[in-house]
Amino acid sequence: MATTTASLTITSSDLVGDALSLSTTNNVYKAGTTTGLEQTTGIASVYLTATTQIDLFNPVRTAAADAGKNSWIYICNNSEDETEYATIKISNQTVGRLYAGDFMWMPWNRSARFVDVSLTPSVATGMRIEYGLFYESLEHLASTDARTFQDE
Amino acid sequence: MATINATMSLSSDIAESAISVSKTMTMTKAGSTTGLDKATGLIRKTFTSTNHVDLLVGAASGGIAEDVTKNKAAKLYIKNVGTDSSEYFIIGMGKASAGASEEGYDQASSTERYCSIGRLYGGDWMLIPWDAEDTNGYGDITVKPSVATTMTAEYMVFFE
Repeated sequence: MATTTASLTITSSDLVGDALSLSTTNNVYKAGTTTGLEQTTGIASVYLTATTQIDLFNPVRTAAADAGKNSWIYICNNSEDETEYATIKISNQTVGRLYAGDFMWMPWNRSARFVDVSLTPSVATGMRIEYGLFYESLEHLASTDARTFQDE
Repeated sequence: MATINATMSLSSDIAESAISVSKTMTMTKAGSTTGLDKATGLIRKTFTSTNHVDLLVGAASGGIAEDVTKNKAAKLYIKNVGTDSSEYFIIGMGKASAGASEEGYDQASSTERYCSIGRLYGGDWMLIPWDAEDTNGYGDITVKPSVATTMTAEYMVFFE
């Protein structure tokens, strides 16, 4: 069984009158169990040069076996320009903006509804995004392309 | 201006080559290097029914998110502080049904727009940017406990 651990520390010495310090850590499990997630896309890095809205993660088909299984999403905007941001949407509803250096970590329970997770860069001048999915189950669709390419 | 740092460490032996990610972000106002300087404080809320309800209402007048300016750089932290691995909160976005079932997502109906984000099981936490959209409740953050026995969540919003 794999162990995936996510830890977070939030600190500030001047946000409030007394210093703020919040720390938490947890292992991510399969739904309703203490068995660790066993699959991942790895951490991908892409360089986006258009302001086109793209899907990072797609929904499942109707009645697919992996519907409702547990997944976790990590996304980071590695831009260094503070004016640049990536808009994150789920089901085409805006979750929020990741400005330069911002990251997010959230659960994602995939269903056959339109729960795709998408990203839209604010600029077309190039934005590097890191992202990864840790998941319990992911259906790989059968290939529909049966063509055979022969030597010309 | 305040300085708020969030550091995330992610480690996994899920693959042959171990995954290790460590990121620190300084929470800044939209499009600037000026730090966020407002927060709700860490809120602790107990739920005793499985009703689907609002946790945060975007730009709500008189609500806890009243001062959060939409379309900026707010960050939202939520944690299920329970320890039961079978109990979870469904975190969603949009209109809460206030009843025992989640509202269905209906693109054609501006009054029923809702989508589930994911489940926070005991001990799980999440940190996301929050748009705080106030149009028809599209940006509301909703919660639905899986059981009617006591479940507790903690959450906090950092905003400008």
